[in-house]
Amino acid sequence: MLKKILITGVILSLSMWVTGQETKTAVTSKQAKITDEINLSDADIEVFKEQTKQKVEEFQQYIVTLGNKDEPAEKRNMAEKEALKLFYKGAEMEISTILPNGSVQKVNRPMEKYLARLKSLPYTKVIIKFYDIAYIREFTKGPDGKYYSTATIIQEFTGFSDDDIIYTDITKKEVEIIIDIVEDTFFKEKRWKIFLGDIKAAETKSSVS
Amino acid sequence: MSYRFFKRKLHRGSILVCVVFFTGSSLFSQVLTNQQKEREDIFVARIKQFNEFADRFNLKTDFNGNTADSVFKARMPRERMIPLLFDLKDPRIQIPGKEYSEAYIRIKEEFVEEVTKKNILLYKYSPGIISEARVRVIYKGEPQQIRLFLVQEIVGNNSVKWVLRSAKGDILNIFKTDTSMVRFIPPSSNETDFINLKRALEDTDYLQYYASQDYEPDFLTLFFYYIKAGIIKYEYVEEVVYHIIDIPGWYLRVKEFNRNELNSGWLITDVMKNELDLAAFIRNL
Repeated sequence: MLKKILITGVILSLSMWVTGQETKTAVTSKQAKITDEINLSDADIEVFKEQTKQKVEEFQQYIVTLGNKDEPAEKRNMAEKEALKLFYKGAEMEISTILPNGSVQKVNRPMEKYLARLKSLPYTKVIIKFYDIAYIREFTKGPDGKYYSTATIIQEFTGFSDDDIIYTDITKKEVEIIIDIVEDTFFKEKRWKIFLGDIKAAETKSSVS
Repeated sequence: MSYRFFKRKLHRGSILVCVVFFTGSSLFSQVLTNQQKEREDIFVARIKQFNEFADRFNLKTDFNGNTADSVFKARMPRERMIPLLFDLKDPRIQIPGKEYSEAYIRIKEEFVEEVTKKNILLYKYSPGIISEARVRVIYKGEPQQIRLFLVQEIVGNNSVKWVLRSAKGDILNIFKTDTSMVRFIPPSSNETDFINLKRALEDTDYLQYYASQDYEPDFLTLFFYYIKAGIIKYEYVEEVVYHIIDIPGWYLRVKEFNRNELNSGWLITDVMKNELDLAAFIRNL
Protein backbone atom coordinates (compact mmCIF):
# COMPACT_ATOMS: atom_id res chain seq x y z
CA MET A 1 0.00 0.00 0.00
CA LEU A 2 2.76 2.38 1.08
CA LYS A 3 4.65 1.50 -2.11
CA LYS A 4 1.57 2.38 -4.22
CA ILE A 5 1.15 5.75 -2.48
CA LEU A 6 4.84 6.50 -2.97
CA ILE A 7 4.72 5.63 -6.70
CA THR A 8 1.55 7.75 -7.19
CA GLY A 9 3.25 10.64 -5.37
CA VAL A 10 6.34 10.40 -7.55
CA ILE A 11 4.23 10.29 -10.76
CA LEU A 12 2.15 13.27 -9.59
CA SER A 13 5.16 15.40 -8.72
CA LEU A 14 6.84 14.43 -11.99
CA SER A 15 3.80 15.46 -14.03
CA MET A 16 3.59 18.75 -12.10
CA TRP A 17 7.29 19.36 -12.81
CA VAL A 18 6.79 18.64 -16.50
CA THR A 19 3.81 21.06 -16.62
CA GLY A 20 5.94 23.72 -14.95
CA GLN A 21 8.62 23.26 -17.61
CA GLU A 22 6.24 24.19 -20.47
CA THR A 23 7.55 26.87 -22.77
CA LYS A 24 5.99 30.34 -22.79
CA THR A 25 4.59 29.81 -26.28
CA ALA A 26 3.04 26.42 -25.57
CA VAL A 27 -0.66 26.54 -24.68
CA THR A 28 -3.26 23.86 -24.17
CA SER A 29 -5.13 23.07 -27.40
CA LYS A 30 -8.45 23.78 -25.64
CA GLN A 31 -7.35 27.28 -24.63
CA ALA A 32 -5.95 27.97 -28.12
CA LYS A 33 -9.22 26.87 -29.75
CA ILE A 34 -11.32 29.19 -27.58
CA THR A 35 -9.14 32.25 -28.21
CA ASP A 36 -8.75 31.42 -31.90
CA GLU A 37 -12.48 31.74 -32.40
CA ILE A 38 -12.45 35.33 -31.15
CA ASN A 39 -11.06 37.84 -33.61
CA LEU A 40 -10.17 41.48 -33.25
CA SER A 41 -11.47 43.81 -35.94
CA ASP A 42 -9.09 46.11 -37.83
CA ALA A 43 -10.55 49.05 -35.90
CA ASP A 44 -9.88 47.26 -32.60
CA ILE A 45 -6.30 46.62 -33.66
CA GLU A 46 -5.81 50.33 -34.46
CA VAL A 47 -7.04 51.18 -30.95
CA PHE A 48 -4.63 48.61 -29.51
CA LYS A 49 -1.78 50.13 -31.50
CA GLU A 50 -2.47 53.46 -29.80
CA GLN A 51 -2.70 51.76 -26.41
CA THR A 52 0.60 49.99 -27.11
CA LYS A 53 2.26 53.39 -27.51
CA GLN A 54 0.90 54.41 -24.10
CA LYS A 55 2.01 51.12 -22.54
CA VAL A 56 5.52 51.51 -23.94
CA GLU A 57 5.67 55.12 -22.69
CA GLU A 58 4.50 53.94 -19.27
CA PHE A 59 7.31 51.36 -19.21
CA GLN A 60 9.84 54.02 -20.28
CA GLN A 61 8.68 56.32 -17.49
CA TYR A 62 9.08 53.55 -14.91
CA ILE A 63 12.61 52.86 -16.19
CA VAL A 64 13.51 56.56 -15.88
CA THR A 65 12.18 56.67 -12.29
CA LEU A 66 13.79 53.37 -11.37
CA GLY A 67 17.22 54.44 -12.56
CA ASN A 68 17.05 57.94 -11.06
CA LYS A 69 18.99 57.84 -7.78
CA ASP A 70 17.57 61.27 -6.79
CA GLU A 71 14.10 59.77 -6.45
CA PRO A 72 13.06 58.43 -3.04
CA ALA A 73 13.54 54.67 -2.56
CA GLU A 74 9.79 54.15 -2.09
CA LYS A 75 8.99 55.73 -5.45
CA ARG A 76 11.68 53.66 -7.17
CA ASN A 77 10.44 50.44 -5.55
CA MET A 78 6.91 51.29 -6.63
CA ALA A 79 8.14 51.94 -10.21
CA GLU A 80 9.84 48.51 -10.19
CA LYS A 81 6.65 46.82 -9.01
CA GLU A 82 4.40 48.66 -11.48
CA ALA A 83 6.82 48.06 -14.38
CA LEU A 84 6.69 44.32 -13.72
CA LYS A 85 2.89 44.37 -13.91
CA LEU A 86 3.16 45.46 -17.55
CA PHE A 87 4.89 42.22 -18.51
CA TYR A 88 3.73 38.80 -19.47
CA LYS A 89 4.75 36.17 -16.96
CA GLY A 90 8.18 34.77 -17.78
CA ALA A 91 9.31 37.74 -19.90
CA GLU A 92 13.06 38.03 -20.32
CA MET A 93 15.54 40.75 -21.18
CA GLU A 94 18.29 39.80 -23.63
CA ILE A 95 21.24 42.17 -23.65
CA SER A 96 23.84 41.91 -26.37
CA THR A 97 27.30 43.39 -26.06
CA ILE A 98 29.82 43.74 -28.85
CA LEU A 99 33.18 42.45 -27.60
CA PRO A 100 36.50 44.09 -28.60
CA ASN A 101 37.13 41.24 -31.08
CA GLY A 102 33.85 42.11 -32.83
CA SER A 103 31.92 39.07 -31.64
CA VAL A 104 28.58 39.48 -29.90
CA GLN A 105 27.89 38.18 -26.41
CA LYS A 106 24.33 37.88 -25.18
CA VAL A 107 22.99 37.56 -21.65
CA ASN A 108 19.40 36.67 -20.81
CA ARG A 109 17.82 37.70 -17.52
CA PRO A 110 14.29 37.36 -16.17
CA MET A 111 12.63 40.81 -16.22
CA GLU A 112 12.47 40.87 -12.39
CA LYS A 113 16.25 40.50 -12.18
CA TYR A 114 16.88 43.06 -14.92
CA LEU A 115 14.75 45.70 -13.17
CA ALA A 116 16.30 44.93 -9.77
CA ARG A 117 19.81 45.31 -11.25
CA LEU A 118 18.85 48.59 -12.93
CA LYS A 119 17.79 49.92 -9.53
CA SER A 120 21.12 49.13 -7.91
CA LEU A 121 23.66 50.15 -10.55
CA PRO A 122 27.01 51.27 -9.08
CA TYR A 123 26.73 54.91 -10.21
CA THR A 124 26.14 57.96 -8.03
CA LYS A 125 23.75 59.35 -10.65
CA VAL A 126 21.99 57.80 -13.62
CA ILE A 127 20.19 59.60 -16.45
CA ILE A 128 18.02 57.55 -18.77
CA LYS A 129 16.33 59.20 -21.74
CA PHE A 130 14.05 57.76 -24.38
CA TYR A 131 13.26 59.20 -27.78
CA ASP A 132 9.69 60.43 -28.19
CA ILE A 133 9.27 58.23 -31.23
CA ALA A 134 8.67 54.50 -31.28
CA TYR A 135 8.06 52.15 -34.17
CA ILE A 136 5.28 49.60 -33.67
CA ARG A 137 4.72 46.89 -36.25
CA GLU A 138 1.24 45.68 -37.14
CA PHE A 139 -0.35 43.01 -34.95
CA THR A 140 -0.36 39.44 -36.29
CA LYS A 141 -2.46 36.66 -34.87
CA GLY A 142 -0.65 33.64 -33.47
CA PRO A 143 -1.96 30.04 -33.45
CA ASP A 144 -2.85 30.50 -29.76
CA GLY A 145 -5.37 33.23 -30.66
CA LYS A 146 -3.29 36.03 -29.15
CA TYR A 147 -2.08 38.98 -31.21
CA TYR A 148 1.62 39.75 -31.47
CA SER A 149 3.61 42.84 -32.38
CA THR A 150 7.01 44.41 -31.68
CA ALA A 151 7.85 47.97 -30.69
CA THR A 152 11.30 49.48 -31.30
CA ILE A 153 12.49 52.18 -28.90
CA ILE A 154 15.81 53.94 -28.32
CA GLN A 155 17.29 54.50 -24.86
CA GLU A 156 20.17 56.78 -23.95
CA PHE A 157 21.91 55.84 -20.72
CA THR A 158 24.46 57.93 -18.81
CA GLY A 159 26.08 56.77 -15.56
CA PHE A 160 27.94 59.29 -13.37
CA SER A 161 30.46 59.02 -10.57
CA ASP A 162 29.94 62.34 -8.78
CA ASP A 163 29.92 64.80 -11.70
CA ASP A 164 31.96 62.68 -14.11
CA ILE A 165 30.34 60.60 -16.82
CA ILE A 166 31.87 57.13 -16.44
CA TYR A 167 29.55 55.19 -18.71
CA THR A 168 27.29 56.11 -21.58
CA ASP A 169 25.51 54.13 -24.28
CA ILE A 170 22.63 54.23 -26.74
CA THR A 171 20.65 51.02 -26.99
CA LYS A 172 17.94 49.96 -29.37
CA LYS A 173 15.28 47.90 -27.70
CA GLU A 174 12.83 45.57 -29.41
CA VAL A 175 9.87 45.00 -27.12
CA GLU A 176 7.50 42.11 -27.81
CA ILE A 177 3.84 43.12 -27.48
CA ILE A 178 1.08 40.60 -26.77
CA ILE A 179 -2.68 41.14 -26.73
CA ASP A 180 -4.30 38.43 -24.66
CA ILE A 181 -7.72 37.75 -23.16
CA VAL A 182 -7.83 38.17 -19.40
CA GLU A 183 -10.63 37.75 -16.91
CA ASP A 184 -11.62 40.92 -15.12
CA THR A 185 -12.41 39.64 -11.64
CA PHE A 186 -14.19 42.88 -10.65
CA PHE A 187 -16.63 43.01 -13.59
CA LYS A 188 -16.54 39.23 -14.00
CA GLU A 189 -15.98 39.47 -17.74
CA LYS A 190 -13.27 38.62 -20.22
CA ARG A 191 -11.47 41.37 -22.09
CA TRP A 192 -8.39 41.92 -24.25
CA LYS A 193 -5.34 43.30 -22.52
CA ILE A 194 -1.91 44.44 -23.73
CA PHE A 195 1.19 42.95 -22.18
CA LEU A 196 4.85 43.55 -22.81
CA GLY A 197 6.90 40.42 -23.50
CA ASP A 198 10.58 39.65 -24.07
CA ILE A 199 12.91 42.54 -24.80
CA LYS A 200 15.99 42.40 -27.01
CA ALA A 201 18.47 45.17 -26.26
CA ALA A 202 21.41 45.93 -28.55
CA GLU A 203 23.92 48.74 -28.32
CA THR A 204 24.02 50.86 -31.48
CA LYS A 205 27.49 51.46 -32.90
CA SER A 206 28.77 54.32 -35.01
CA SER A 207 31.09 52.00 -36.90
CA VAL A 208 30.06 49.66 -39.69
CA SER A 209 28.77 46.39 -38.30
CA MET B 1 39.27 105.83 -10.74
CA SER B 2 35.97 107.28 -9.68
CA TYR B 3 33.29 105.11 -8.11
CA ARG B 4 30.92 105.91 -10.98
CA PHE B 5 33.54 104.81 -13.57
CA PHE B 6 34.24 101.64 -11.63
CA LYS B 7 30.54 100.91 -11.34
CA ARG B 8 30.06 101.47 -15.08
CA LYS B 9 33.06 99.25 -15.84
CA LEU B 10 31.74 96.55 -13.52
CA HIS B 11 28.29 96.84 -15.05
CA ARG B 12 29.73 96.50 -18.58
CA GLY B 13 31.84 93.54 -17.44
CA SER B 14 28.82 91.84 -15.91
CA ILE B 15 26.86 92.36 -19.08
CA LEU B 16 29.74 90.94 -21.12
CA VAL B 17 30.04 87.89 -18.80
CA CYS B 18 26.29 87.39 -18.93
CA VAL B 19 26.25 87.74 -22.74
CA VAL B 20 29.15 85.27 -23.10
CA PHE B 21 27.59 82.88 -20.58
CA PHE B 22 24.12 82.92 -22.07
CA THR B 23 25.39 82.80 -25.65
CA GLY B 24 27.73 79.96 -24.74
CA SER B 25 25.02 78.17 -22.79
CA SER B 26 22.48 78.53 -25.57
CA LEU B 27 25.11 77.44 -28.11
CA PHE B 28 25.90 74.41 -25.95
CA SER B 29 22.26 73.50 -25.57
CA GLN B 30 21.80 74.16 -29.29
CA VAL B 31 24.61 71.67 -30.04
CA LEU B 32 23.00 69.12 -27.68
CA THR B 33 19.59 69.66 -29.25
CA ASN B 34 21.07 69.29 -32.73
CA GLN B 35 22.81 66.07 -31.73
CA GLN B 36 19.58 64.72 -30.27
CA LYS B 37 17.69 65.81 -33.39
CA GLU B 38 20.28 64.12 -35.61
CA ARG B 39 20.02 60.89 -33.61
CA GLU B 40 16.23 61.01 -33.80
CA ASP B 41 16.40 61.59 -37.56
CA ILE B 42 18.64 58.53 -37.86
CA PHE B 43 16.15 56.52 -35.80
CA VAL B 44 13.30 57.60 -38.08
CA ALA B 45 15.25 56.82 -41.27
CA ARG B 46 16.60 53.53 -39.91
CA ILE B 47 14.74 50.39 -41.08
CA LYS B 48 14.04 49.26 -37.55
CA GLN B 49 12.32 45.93 -38.12
CA PHE B 50 12.06 43.46 -40.99
CA ASN B 51 8.34 44.30 -41.06
CA GLU B 52 9.26 47.92 -41.77
CA PHE B 53 11.58 46.75 -44.56
CA ALA B 54 8.64 44.98 -46.23
CA ASP B 55 6.36 48.02 -45.76
CA ARG B 56 8.92 50.40 -47.29
CA PHE B 57 9.61 47.96 -50.12
CA ASN B 58 5.89 47.95 -50.92
CA LEU B 59 5.63 51.71 -50.28
CA LYS B 60 2.92 50.97 -47.77
CA THR B 61 4.28 53.30 -45.09
CA ASP B 62 6.28 56.52 -44.91
CA PHE B 63 9.45 56.94 -42.82
CA ASN B 64 7.39 57.46 -39.66
CA GLY B 65 5.55 54.19 -40.10
CA ASN B 66 2.29 55.92 -41.10
CA THR B 67 0.32 54.78 -44.14
CA ALA B 68 1.96 56.37 -47.19
CA ASP B 69 -0.35 59.02 -48.66
CA SER B 70 -0.44 60.28 -52.24
CA VAL B 71 1.85 63.25 -51.40
CA PHE B 72 4.51 60.92 -49.95
CA LYS B 73 4.13 58.49 -52.86
CA ALA B 74 4.60 61.33 -55.36
CA ARG B 75 7.71 62.59 -53.56
CA MET B 76 9.15 59.15 -52.89
CA PRO B 77 8.00 56.70 -55.60
CA ARG B 78 9.15 53.08 -55.39
CA GLU B 79 11.95 53.65 -57.91
CA ARG B 80 13.46 56.10 -55.39
CA MET B 81 12.53 54.19 -52.25
CA ILE B 82 13.81 50.71 -53.19
CA PRO B 83 17.42 51.85 -53.93
CA LEU B 84 17.47 53.32 -50.39
CA LEU B 85 16.78 49.84 -49.00
CA PHE B 86 20.21 48.66 -50.20
CA ASP B 87 23.39 48.80 -48.11
CA LEU B 88 24.95 51.96 -49.55
CA LYS B 89 28.35 51.02 -48.11
CA ASP B 90 28.55 47.86 -50.21
CA PRO B 91 32.12 47.83 -51.61
CA ARG B 92 30.73 46.70 -54.97
CA ILE B 93 29.14 50.12 -55.52
CA GLN B 94 32.02 52.29 -54.26
CA ILE B 95 33.91 54.28 -56.92
CA PRO B 96 36.90 53.99 -56.89
CA GLY B 97 37.23 50.65 -55.18
CA LYS B 98 38.91 47.30 -55.66
CA GLU B 99 35.61 45.48 -55.39
CA TYR B 100 33.64 47.89 -57.57
CA SER B 101 31.39 45.86 -59.86
CA GLU B 102 29.50 47.28 -62.79
CA ALA B 103 27.80 43.91 -63.23
CA TYR B 104 26.33 44.16 -59.71
CA ILE B 105 25.16 47.73 -60.31
CA ARG B 106 23.47 46.64 -63.53
CA ILE B 107 21.69 43.74 -61.80
CA LYS B 108 20.55 46.06 -59.02
CA GLU B 109 19.14 48.50 -61.55
CA GLU B 110 17.46 45.68 -63.48
CA PHE B 111 15.86 44.42 -60.26
CA VAL B 112 14.55 47.87 -59.28
CA GLU B 113 13.22 48.48 -62.76
CA GLU B 114 11.41 45.12 -62.97
CA VAL B 115 9.89 45.36 -59.49
CA THR B 116 8.66 48.93 -59.97
CA LYS B 117 7.44 48.58 -63.57
CA LYS B 118 5.53 45.38 -62.86
CA ASN B 119 4.53 46.69 -59.43
CA ILE B 120 5.71 43.48 -57.71
CA LEU B 121 5.07 43.56 -53.97
CA LEU B 122 6.70 41.57 -51.21
CA TYR B 123 4.23 39.39 -49.31
CA LYS B 124 5.50 39.52 -45.75
CA TYR B 125 4.02 36.16 -44.73
CA SER B 126 5.36 34.40 -47.81
CA PRO B 127 7.00 30.98 -47.41
CA GLY B 128 9.59 32.47 -49.76
CA ILE B 129 10.99 34.49 -46.87
CA ILE B 130 13.60 32.34 -45.16
CA SER B 131 15.00 33.55 -41.89
CA GLU B 132 18.43 32.20 -41.10
CA ALA B 133 19.20 32.29 -37.37
CA ARG B 134 22.88 31.72 -36.62
CA VAL B 135 22.73 30.18 -33.19
CA ARG B 136 25.46 29.59 -30.66
CA VAL B 137 25.54 26.17 -29.08
CA ILE B 138 27.98 24.47 -26.72
CA TYR B 139 29.32 21.16 -28.05
CA LYS B 140 31.88 19.20 -26.03
CA GLY B 141 32.48 22.31 -23.92
CA GLU B 142 33.28 24.52 -26.93
CA PRO B 143 31.06 27.18 -28.56
CA GLN B 144 29.92 26.22 -32.06
CA GLN B 145 27.57 27.80 -34.60
CA ILE B 146 24.56 26.13 -36.17
CA ARG B 147 22.43 27.77 -38.85
CA LEU B 148 18.71 27.25 -38.35
CA PHE B 149 16.39 28.08 -41.24
CA LEU B 150 12.89 29.23 -40.32
CA VAL B 151 9.90 29.98 -42.53
CA GLN B 152 6.40 31.26 -41.79
CA GLU B 153 3.35 29.01 -41.84
CA ILE B 154 -0.22 30.24 -41.99
CA VAL B 155 -2.43 28.11 -39.78
CA GLY B 156 -6.10 27.97 -38.89
CA ASN B 157 -7.97 31.24 -38.83
CA ASN B 158 -5.33 33.42 -40.54
CA SER B 159 -2.80 33.07 -37.79
CA VAL B 160 0.89 32.89 -38.47
CA LYS B 161 3.86 31.16 -36.88
CA TRP B 162 7.52 30.62 -37.65
CA VAL B 163 8.59 27.01 -38.07
CA LEU B 164 11.99 25.33 -38.27
CA ARG B 165 12.60 24.10 -41.77
CA SER B 166 16.24 23.02 -41.82
CA ALA B 167 19.53 23.07 -39.92
CA LYS B 168 23.16 23.23 -40.99
CA GLY B 169 26.49 23.27 -39.22
CA ASP B 170 29.87 21.59 -39.06
CA ILE B 171 28.89 19.53 -36.02
CA LEU B 172 25.86 18.19 -37.91
CA ASN B 173 28.04 16.90 -40.73
CA ILE B 174 28.52 13.45 -39.29
CA PHE B 175 29.57 11.84 -42.56
CA LYS B 176 32.92 11.94 -44.34
CA THR B 177 33.41 11.83 -48.07
CA ASP B 178 35.53 9.13 -49.68
CA THR B 179 35.31 8.37 -53.38
CA SER B 180 38.38 6.13 -53.49
CA MET B 181 36.49 3.08 -52.27
CA VAL B 182 33.27 1.44 -53.34
CA ARG B 183 31.06 0.70 -50.35
CA PHE B 184 28.00 -1.50 -50.63
CA ILE B 185 26.07 -4.40 -49.18
CA PRO B 186 26.59 -7.30 -51.60
CA PRO B 187 23.68 -8.55 -53.77
CA SER B 188 23.47 -11.97 -52.14
CA SER B 189 23.54 -10.67 -48.55
CA ASN B 190 19.84 -11.39 -48.15
CA GLU B 191 20.58 -15.12 -48.34
CA THR B 192 22.89 -14.86 -45.31
CA ASP B 193 20.37 -12.76 -43.39
CA PHE B 194 22.58 -9.72 -44.04
CA ILE B 195 25.62 -10.83 -42.10
CA ASN B 196 27.42 -8.02 -44.02
CA LEU B 197 25.29 -5.43 -42.25
CA LYS B 198 27.59 -5.65 -39.22
CA ARG B 199 30.60 -4.81 -41.38
CA ALA B 200 28.76 -1.92 -43.03
CA LEU B 201 27.56 -0.40 -39.76
CA GLU B 202 31.04 -0.53 -38.28
CA ASP B 203 32.21 1.74 -41.11
CA THR B 204 30.78 4.63 -39.04
CA ASP B 205 32.18 7.64 -40.91
CA TYR B 206 30.78 6.53 -44.27
CA LEU B 207 27.36 5.12 -43.47
CA GLN B 208 25.69 7.28 -46.14
CA TYR B 209 27.27 5.14 -48.88
CA TYR B 210 25.21 2.18 -47.69
CA ALA B 211 21.96 4.14 -48.08
CA SER B 212 19.83 4.45 -51.22
CA GLN B 213 20.66 6.84 -54.07
CA ASP B 214 17.95 9.32 -53.07
CA TYR B 215 18.96 9.35 -49.39
CA GLU B 216 19.29 12.88 -47.99
CA PRO B 217 20.42 13.32 -44.39
CA ASP B 218 17.86 15.26 -42.33
CA PHE B 219 20.04 17.61 -40.32
CA LEU B 220 17.07 19.16 -38.51
CA THR B 221 16.19 15.77 -36.99
CA LEU B 222 19.83 15.35 -36.07
CA PHE B 223 19.80 18.80 -34.43
CA PHE B 224 16.65 17.87 -32.45
CA TYR B 225 18.31 14.64 -31.36
CA TYR B 226 21.49 16.46 -30.25
CA ILE B 227 19.40 18.89 -28.19
CA LYS B 228 17.22 16.14 -26.69
CA ALA B 229 20.17 13.91 -25.85
CA GLY B 230 22.07 16.84 -24.31
CA ILE B 231 24.92 16.48 -26.84
CA ILE B 232 24.64 20.21 -27.55
CA LYS B 233 23.36 22.99 -25.30
CA TYR B 234 21.55 25.87 -26.97
CA GLU B 235 22.76 29.34 -25.94
CA TYR B 236 21.36 32.18 -28.11
CA VAL B 237 20.90 33.60 -31.61
CA GLU B 238 24.02 35.46 -32.69
CA GLU B 239 22.67 36.92 -35.90
CA VAL B 240 19.66 36.78 -38.21
CA VAL B 241 19.82 37.04 -42.00
CA TYR B 242 16.80 36.93 -44.35
CA HIS B 243 16.86 35.19 -47.71
CA ILE B 244 13.96 36.30 -49.90
CA ILE B 245 12.89 34.27 -52.94
CA ASP B 246 9.30 35.53 -52.88
CA ILE B 247 9.83 37.81 -55.89
CA PRO B 248 9.69 35.58 -58.99
CA GLY B 249 13.10 35.15 -60.61
CA TRP B 250 14.99 37.02 -57.89
CA TYR B 251 16.88 36.48 -54.66
CA LEU B 252 17.46 39.13 -52.00
CA ARG B 253 19.64 38.88 -48.92
CA VAL B 254 18.70 41.22 -46.07
CA LYS B 255 20.63 41.75 -42.84
CA GLU B 256 20.76 44.33 -40.06
CA PHE B 257 23.39 47.07 -40.01
CA ASN B 258 23.65 48.47 -36.52
CA ARG B 259 25.26 51.85 -37.23
CA ASN B 260 24.45 55.47 -36.43
CA GLU B 261 23.75 56.52 -39.98
CA LEU B 262 20.67 57.24 -42.06
CA ASN B 263 21.40 54.13 -44.18
CA SER B 264 21.09 51.62 -41.32
CA GLY B 265 18.90 48.83 -39.99
CA TRP B 266 17.58 46.00 -42.19
CA LEU B 267 19.15 46.51 -45.63
CA ILE B 268 19.61 44.51 -48.83
CA THR B 269 23.17 43.19 -48.99
CA ASP B 270 22.79 41.14 -52.13
CA VAL B 271 20.52 40.74 -55.13
CA MET B 272 20.82 38.07 -57.80
CA LYS B 273 18.69 36.07 -60.20
CA ASN B 274 17.18 32.86 -58.86
CA GLU B 275 15.18 30.03 -60.35
CA LEU B 276 15.36 27.57 -57.43
CA ASP B 277 12.32 26.56 -55.41
CA LEU B 278 12.29 26.72 -51.60
CA ALA B 279 13.61 23.19 -50.94
CA ALA B 280 16.39 23.43 -53.51
CA PHE B 281 17.25 26.94 -52.38
CA ILE B 282 17.66 25.94 -48.71
CA ARG B 283 19.73 22.92 -49.76
CA ASN B 284 22.09 25.29 -51.57
CA LEU B 285 22.42 27.83 -48.76
